[in-house]
Amino acid sequence: MNEKREPGFDRALARVLHIGALAGFFVMAAGAVAHILFDGPIAARLEITGVLILLITPVVRVFVAMLLFFREKDWRYGWISAGVLLILLLGSLLGIGER
Amino acid sequence: MTTILLVVLGLFAGLVGALSGTGGGIILAPMLALYFGLPIQQAIGTSLVAVITTSAASSSMHLQRHTADIRLGMTLELATALGAAVTAYLVGYINRTALEILFTVFLLYGAVTILRKGGKTEDAQDEMIPASSGNEAAFPPYEPKRLPLGMGASLVAGGLSGLLGIGGGPIKVPVMYLFMGVPLIVATATSNLMMGVTAAASAFVYYRRGDIVPAVAAPLVVGVFVGSLAGARLAPRIHHKWVARLLVAIMLYLSMHMLVHIVGKFL
Repeated sequence: MNEKREPGFDRALARVLHIGALAGFFVMAAGAVAHILFDGPIAARLEITGVLILLITPVVRVFVAMLLFFREKDWRYGWISAGVLLILLLGSLLGIGER
Repeated sequence: MTTILLVVLGLFAGLVGALSGTGGGIILAPMLALYFGLPIQQAIGTSLVAVITTSAASSSMHLQRHTADIRLGMTLELATALGAAVTAYLVGYINRTALEILFTVFLLYGAVTILRKGGKTEDAQDEMIPASSGNEAAFPPYEPKRLPLGMGASLVAGGLSGLLGIGGGPIKVPVMYLFMGVPLIVATATSNLMMGVTAAASAFVYYRRGDIVPAVAAPLVVGVFVGSLAGARLAPRIHHKWVARLLVAIMLYLSMHMLVHIVGKFL
């Protein structure tokens, strides 16, 4: 399964995860510091943004993998990635309308 | 003050998680529930954000070393994400005490499993070293076997992740390694990669329900991020057996405290 893939593939996904984790970390850190210094709407907004960055990071990873699979004409795994994306989308719709 | 304590908790969980190779998610939710007064649903939802952080940070490293199998991971993610989203949805309808009991049972079970497994995590760490050199993967080519079994196990692992806010590595890694014929380093790296998508699938449901508390998640993530990076650095120099024992002790203590907490409600 692993001998077919091109070397740039792993690196592209690694970059997505790296950027997502770092961005989430810095925004969360800013939020936590703001929370300690002056608790208010700015802190809350930063914290929510941080949560959303981290929640979206794995989704972007799957999306980028899907594009790369399709570009390699690896239809099977392109569609599998699309399926994972669909489940993630349905999951985000599932929580709507409660509370 | 609470914010600083949460950073410390995250730091500790990240460190122990990276050193023991278990993610550390299992101790976060009960600690948030017991010592920070979060309802168990919110404790679970918030710890999922920490699980995503650990997964993203560590798998970006694994991917650069070409140890994660993206195709296998993506295939199994179909099952883990589905399981996670469904149980996360069901959590909205489970009684709070029932969920606490379930969590306590799993903590006890997890502690016993790690105790019985003994030094298994050490083998994984030893095998980790040669893979880091060069651009090509250092393991022989393989073809995953028994995919239906792997999908079934992934569905269960995903379900547990959505239910308890954990990564599910202790289920996925042995199944890939023992039953599917995947090398241990690849199984560990792939499980780590899958954790992010799995946790995200359930975290969306928790978030929409209001069960992720951003003010708690922020300091926690800061701590977990730094803690797991430090843990990854320290890992080669620390005796994993002791970390595993420490983790077991914490899990046993937390399960006892949870039990007291649950029983206390009925008295």
